[in-house]
Amino acid sequence: MSATPSLGTDAPRGVRPSKPPPPPFALWGGIGFVLLTIGFSWDWTYGIGFSIPDLISNFTLDPARNPIVAGVIDPVWETMTRPAVIEGFIETFQLAAIATILGGIVGLPLALLNSLTGAPNKTVYILVKNFNSFIRAIPDLIYAVFFVAAIGRGALPGVLALFFLSVAVIAKLTADIVDGIDQGPIESARASGASHVQMVKTAVIPQILPGYTSFALYTFEINLRGSAVLGFVGAGGIGTIFSNYYQRGWYDRLVVVVIGFFIVVFIVDRISIAVRKRLL
Amino acid sequence: MITFENASVTYPGGVQALKDVSVQLNDGEFVVIVGLSGAGKSTLIRAVNGLVPLTSGTCYVDTNEVRPKDKKAIRDLRAEVGMIFQTHNLVKRTTVLNNVLMGRLHRTATWRTLLGTYTKDDVELAMQALERVEIVEKAYVRASNLSGGQQQRVGIARALAQEPKVVLADEPTASLDPPTSHIVMRDLKNICRELNITMLVNLHFLDLARMYGDRIVGLRGGELVYDGPAADADEKVFEDIYGRSLTAQDMLEASDAA
Repeated sequence: MSATPSLGTDAPRGVRPSKPPPPPFALWGGIGFVLLTIGFSWDWTYGIGFSIPDLISNFTLDPARNPIVAGVIDPVWETMTRPAVIEGFIETFQLAAIATILGGIVGLPLALLNSLTGAPNKTVYILVKNFNSFIRAIPDLIYAVFFVAAIGRGALPGVLALFFLSVAVIAKLTADIVDGIDQGPIESARASGASHVQMVKTAVIPQILPGYTSFALYTFEINLRGSAVLGFVGAGGIGTIFSNYYQRGWYDRLVVVVIGFFIVVFIVDRISIAVRKRLL
Repeated sequence: MITFENASVTYPGGVQALKDVSVQLNDGEFVVIVGLSGAGKSTLIRAVNGLVPLTSGTCYVDTNEVRPKDKKAIRDLRAEVGMIFQTHNLVKRTTVLNNVLMGRLHRTATWRTLLGTYTKDDVELAMQALERVEIVEKAYVRASNLSGGQQQRVGIARALAQEPKVVLADEPTASLDPPTSHIVMRDLKNICRELNITMLVNLHFLDLARMYGDRIVGLRGGELVYDGPAADADEKVFEDIYGRSLTAQDMLEASDAA
């Protein structure tokens, strides 16, 4: 027989409240999520026509029927040392580096102003917050298409597209840490008669610097990966080689460049993670 | 001289933290403000430098009215009023010296701040402030590597670097152990005496209040309930301020022993 648990309290002290109902947001959010999931997985007449049997029947690894498989099993390793490929890799690094540096310079003030702590007043805060949301709402590929159309093919539209991507990422992530910093040093800076700019420089920036640097490095990784796709719309970088070889059906060469790109991104990723670990 | 005239503060939530307080504090006086949590001690202190604006009444530092809405005037006034916090409020990721130099910001050009440089004179003042609280050997150490007591002394040095006329201290010993509390209080007392700086210190330990204060101001529920020399404040007075009988927790030494 299980006894009623007891802490040995002799007489009840205080009145026990009844359990509050779940917050409406969690409740309706949960119900909405379930309904959406059912709705999307239903077999509607309209849709993307996704079907697992089709996927299996169309799938083949036979090199005679699948040219990509034929290329993968017989790669042309010399492709790696072709000047155009090496140039493509260098250009990708340059694109990513320039975009990250410029994006970091512009992103920092936008991040500071995107927070009630860093903005001098509410009007500036709301304006910058909306501006940042706008920049963030546009995908990098759309930026690339836009700038290629506006100024022609080449590396410059690529830099511009990745620049906007960098600003969006750095401003968003850094603004989130500005909101979470220790308010104590801010109060002491204000109490000593510091101006708003002085307060931000001496009390806010030292606190967000590790996070900001970490996000800038992370943005460099994102830019490196992003540059692989931008070449398909004519915005330079290693993506130009991907696009070329893909369109010509040179899968035996494409696979070599893809492997090379994978190795580069992997190494940069490892270095970046190691550096960021030490920063935070 | 600090003068409150019918000062009241009502916070946006509707809590009235100060009710019609009128009091005059003299130059060079070591004033201890006592009261329970929520009695309005922090609010009273923050009204002096405008961190909390009065909702009615006025506050003067010398002849200057505290007007938080006038950005230029309030910055000039804050430059003359140093502040020490319960949680030290240091920038932990930077050096002790940089923290003390924050006390010089009001006299520093914005371009210098943006470049992160200070004048030689400012650095000299900061070093002297650190010498006064006997922690100058830590000048180039990161603030996060100091103990709580050391951090609080850096906080005092930062206030001193302002060359203030008034220093406000909001529960400066609340996060310190008893021996360190005495060191900090002794430092504050010496600064008050030797530099003739007016001290406004919030405390909730009665023995500290009596030992270091010249004058005790008691608050209860936002109202001024006592104002008199520290020497005259006996247990009866404190019971009156607290509105209840005293316990061991009201004494620094006794609460430590308990």
